[in-house]
Formats: sequence, C-alpha cells, structure tokens
Amino acid sequence: MQNDPGDFDLERKLEDWAAAESSIRVSSELTRSIQATLNRSLTAVKPVPSQGTLWLVFMTLFMGCAGLLIMLTSRVGIHLMTPVQLGGISVVLIAIGILFVAKLVEQMIPGSQSRVSQSTVLTFGGIGLFGGLAILFPWQSSPHFVSEGWPCAVLELAAGVPVTGIFWLLARRGTLFASAGLGATLTGIAALVVLIPLQFQCMFQQAPHLLVWHGGAALLLIGLGAILGRRP
Amino acid sequence: MLMMQYQRADSGAVDELVQRLSPLLLRYFSSSRFGRREAEDLLQDCWMRIHRSRHTYRSSEPVMPWIYAIARHTRLDAYRKSGRLAAREVLVANVPETLHQVTVETRQLDFEHLVSSLPDSQREVLVMLKVSGMSLEEIARATATTVGSVKQKARRAYETLRRVLGKDIKHAE
Repeated sequence: MQNDPGDFDLERKLEDWAAAESSIRVSSELTRSIQATLNRSLTAVKPVPSQGTLWLVFMTLFMGCAGLLIMLTSRVGIHLMTPVQLGGISVVLIAIGILFVAKLVEQMIPGSQSRVSQSTVLTFGGIGLFGGLAILFPWQSSPHFVSEGWPCAVLELAAGVPVTGIFWLLARRGTLFASAGLGATLTGIAALVVLIPLQFQCMFQQAPHLLVWHGGAALLLIGLGAILGRRP
Repeated sequence: MLMMQYQRADSGAVDELVQRLSPLLLRYFSSSRFGRREAEDLLQDCWMRIHRSRHTYRSSEPVMPWIYAIARHTRLDAYRKSGRLAAREVLVANVPETLHQVTVETRQLDFEHLVSSLPDSQREVLVMLKVSGMSLEEIARATATTVGSVKQKARRAYETLRRVLGKDIKHAE
C-alpha cells in the first residue's frame, strides 16, 4: 500500500494502532463460559455438500418446479411463439436461473469465494431478461393493455411467493444471513421459475405486455425480497 | 483440522478453538465502535452462531474467512437491532467533514480516533488486514466481495488517512 516515502509515517502509525488493538485480551472467565455453553450442546454434524452438489440440487428444483407449473397450466403461448422466440427466451430464462442459483449457493456458505457480485448478477439478469424480451418479441400494443396484463402480473406474484418459500426452506440447510442480497436472490429465482410457465401459457406474446406485466412483476418480487431480506 | 474435530463433537477441539479465536474476534468487535461490554456480548453471540453453523464449514476451504463472515453478520445484525445502522450511515455520508473537524479541533492527532472515523466498510478492511493479518483474498471471502473491491476500500482508507495526516502536519507547521 506504500506509494512514496511519505507513506512511511502512515504505515508506522498503522502498525502501532494494530499492535495496540492486538493487546485486547479475553478474560478467562468469559472463555470458560463460552466453552461450557458450546460443550453443553455439542453433537456431531455432517458437513454440507460441496457447492457443486448444492448447485445441482437447486437447479434440479428450479427445473422441477418450472416443469410442474408448465404441466399444470395451459401451454397456448408455445404455439404463438416462433421457434426462435421459444428457444431464445427459454435459454435466457434458464441462463439467468443458473446465475441466480450459483449466487444463492455462495450466500448459503459463509466465507465463500464471490465470483460475481450481487449487483453484477442483478444487472446481467435484468439486461438479459428485458433485453431478450425487447429483441425477441414484436413491439405491438393492444388497446386492452391493462386489462389483458394485470392477471399475468397477479399470477406471477401469487405463484412467486410459495416458490420463494420452497427455495428458502431448502437454503436454510446453509447459514442464511439477513441481507437484501439474499432476499433478492431468493425471490429472483422464484420469479424466474414462474416466468417460464407464464411465458408458455400467455396469449399476449408482444414485447410491451411481456416487459411490463411479466418483467415488471419479476422486478417487484425481487424488490420485495430485498426489503424483507434486510430484516434480521 | 480443529474445525473438523469440532464437527465430530470433540470437546477438546471446541476448547482449543475458543481459546485461539476469541481474542481475534473480540478485537474485531471492539474496533467496531462497540464498548467492551457490548463487544463481549457480541463475542458470545458470534460463538453461538458459529456453533449453529458449524456444519457449513468445509475442510477444503480456509477457516478464517468462514469465521469472520459469521462475525461480520453478527456485528451487522447488532447494528440493525440497536438502530445504530441508520446513524452510522449518516456519519458515513459526512466523513470528510467529520475528519476535517477532528483535524481542526484537535491539534494533537489521535490516530485511533481517525481510524474509527473511517466508514465502516473501510475500517473493517483495515482491521482484517492489519490487526487480524488476513490476506486480500481472505478478506474478500469474509466480506462476500471481490478482491478488487477489497483493494479499492483499502486504497480509499489509506487515501483518507494520508490526506488527514497531511492536513494535520500542515496545520502544526
């Protein structure tokens, strides 16, 4: 950290400060009290699986939940999309899902190496989703934009809540710290799980509808997750 | 090795870990503007969290970032619960003014006070770097950020301290 000889004084002060901080001692009484408390409830535990295994478990759950919802809902939207639209949006949604699941696995294990920051995941996810919808689908608007759109948003929000709960229950195997990032990741995954069947069952395959009512509801869900995630 | 024994319910490993790590953790909490008594409470809370989370440690990963990540969240939750976090954010926004006041009002520079005036994230990096002796990568893991972000925080902390120290020297002259 030293850039020029003038920094010598700063380094010396920092070393003195660190030495003073290092002189803080823990009383033997407190040490014994902590040891006794921990030993009272000491049982053998099985370490969590590797991050790769956890990622596979969550991706299986991601695909399983999306597949189940596709089976339970109508698939009229698939017939309204061209092969390019169908393939393109499926790839985009699954790719963002992979990114979010990888982030969740990182957040479950304290001290994990952070390969990409939370803001990067959200930015790339947002650009991928909104960019994909804007490029792949035609820019046609309907005179019944609101009446056709709000049921999609309500459905996405309603289905997103229980899916968030399922992922949260499984993620609790790790250590979940209250944070906006964790809330956003969990609801982001749920939003993606629901977006896939919603895309396949929607009759209105136009960019404005998809961006506002599908993408907008996903953003709302992620925002709510971020707010709720901050609560300890 | 001790962590693996801890996971297998070896009480000797627990005693050894508490003995070795508690001073480091207490220093970390003491440097967070908490008083001695609060820091000791946080230390106990942190050990309970470590105990509950011990299954999330994997032997292939370094132990210190795992420990400090839990300690960091213990501290953050304490800030939130006591309502101090909001007050801290106000202070962070006013750091240059605060530091300037310190320089103007106190001719005799108190370095410890200067360090404590740094924004939380920068002071945290300094404590881990200088007091705990952690590497940049270990700090990045503990704070759930990238090495680049840690370097940036350390650089900003150095720049702030350098600037204030420089001002103080000029003032003294």
